Amino acid sequence: MADASVIVAQVIFGLIRGILLGCVFALIALGLNLVWGIAKVVNIAHGELVMLGAYGAYFLNLFLGFNPLLTAPIDAALGLAAGLGFYFAILHRELRGKEAITLQSEMVTLVATFGLSLAISNLANIAFTGNFVGIPFDAGSIEIGFLQIPLAGIYVAVLSVVIISLTHVLLNRTYLGNAIRAYSQDIPAAKLMGINPTAVAAIGTGLAFAVTMAGGAFLTTLFPTGINPYMGALYAPISYVIVVLGGPGRMWGSLVGGLTLGIVIDVGQIFLGVEIAYAVAFLLLIPVLLLRPEGILR
Amino acid sequence: MLRLEGIDAGYDGTQILWDIALEAKRGQMTVIIGPNGAGKSSILKVVTGLLPPTGGRVFFDDEDITEVPAYERPDLGIAACPEGRRLFPQLTAEANLRLGAYTLRARRHADDRLAQVYALFPGIRPRATTKALRLSGGEQQMVAIGRALMASPEILVLDEPSLGLAPKVVTEIFETVHRLRLEGLSVLMVEQNAYQALRIADYGYVVQGGRVLRSGPPGELMDLEELRKAYFAIS
Ligand SMILES: Nc1ncnc2c1ncn2[C@@H]1O[C@H](COP(=O)(O)OP(=O)(O)O)[C@@H](O)[C@H]1O
Ligand SMILES: [Mg+2]
Repeated sequence: MADASVIVAQVIFGLIRGILLGCVFALIALGLNLVWGIAKVVNIAHGELVMLGAYGAYFLNLFLGFNPLLTAPIDAALGLAAGLGFYFAILHRELRGKEAITLQSEMVTLVATFGLSLAISNLANIAFTGNFVGIPFDAGSIEIGFLQIPLAGIYVAVLSVVIISLTHVLLNRTYLGNAIRAYSQDIPAAKLMGINPTAVAAIGTGLAFAVTMAGGAFLTTLFPTGINPYMGALYAPISYVIVVLGGPGRMWGSLVGGLTLGIVIDVGQIFLGVEIAYAVAFLLLIPVLLLRPEGILR
Repeated sequence: MLRLEGIDAGYDGTQILWDIALEAKRGQMTVIIGPNGAGKSSILKVVTGLLPPTGGRVFFDDEDITEVPAYERPDLGIAACPEGRRLFPQLTAEANLRLGAYTLRARRHADDRLAQVYALFPGIRPRATTKALRLSGGEQQMVAIGRALMASPEILVLDEPSLGLAPKVVTEIFETVHRLRLEGLSVLMVEQNAYQALRIADYGYVVQGGRVLRSGPPGELMDLEELRKAYFAIS
């Protein structure tokens, strides 16, 4: 009996941790979802943005003593600038003047972001060294019965959901957001509305990068010693799985996908170990793609 | 108010329009008719800026707007309802309408305009929260015209508003467009439905093979032998 209650406690703890982690995953995936949905760019360098966000939090903590919650807005501002730079340096060359984004354009931007991904992680390895680093951040914890839940994890999860909600409101309730969505659906028709296609595509990319880097900062509280130059290699595929689970272009879908993945990983590793749990999480993609290619949500 | 002078244009190096001269006068309904493939839609794309001409000039209120990009033209007062309606399929009817008032000029009056559009097309009000892709063809056309009206345009540019619609809906659309014209709006309309279009027009152009074949008041064009030939040559 004692064994059973230990397992139940572990599962409950895994579930809670999975939910907290899932919210942050969802925020990170939202960034991928945005670029994918707006500019049809499968951003292979997405994971590197998460990594840069995490290092941003690390260095701001190291030199200025900021905690990861405070660094997130700074990371987001850097992400916005990086997104605008990325749009004008790479995407604009390919997408400028196009009436629709063709498969060929998608391939060109995919290869370009692949190159960018390699360049960033290798430069980071030189600049930051390959060591694992972390941020000591303890905001206390709350106790529920025998469970101790770190407050930092709750903060970042709540903030992630808030940012996802705000993004949803921006996209659905504002002229700018509707213009971004209009651009992603019909570029010539968007122009007829008076929408400057370059401006909205650039802002949309900036927004996506901002959200992703903020997510990278939040992540450091849940994996306090997991910051390294190659961590992007994990968060890119995690984000793809989440976006596909939730349905490309659906912001709430990212939250559902994120929670699913977070729970599968954190509960799964109790029984299966970490590696198998991640493998199972990725394999979820196959039945979903076969049965519900539009994502879990209708 | 809107004038094309010697317009040449085409796609990927293939010239489609040849020396097009055309004028849409303020407060008038100007129609462009002609068979399928004549270049009517291409003329409108030159007007809206989606198709940059290789030769000739476009004037709006005597100002040369040839180089003004498409997305700045709604601000000048040119609003278009393109061929095939081109609603944003994943957005609701009302979100589509509101995007019509995207320019800062129009945005201030968006709520008033929305009420006017719903009054003009009462049928689309109950469909406000429906995604555009789920609307019927007639509803889509009404939203598309409404979306152009949301821009508070000085001239409304319509490309084949009757395309693919049931005869009853076509009549309703033509009546509404005619009413807008009577209220003082300038309209430039392309139609394949020549006779119905000419009946409400002030002036017409017959286009064939990328050239203006004839132009004149509707009475002159109605019984034009060439017009009949132009159509029969195709159909
Ligand atoms: N986007 C395009 N690319 C290439 N050719 C086009 C395009 N649009 C129209 N055309 C060609 O231009 C000619 C005129 O087309 P269009 O202006 O649509 O005529 P209409 O509206 O009178 O039917 C046609 O031969 C058509 O095939
Ligand atoms: Mg046409």
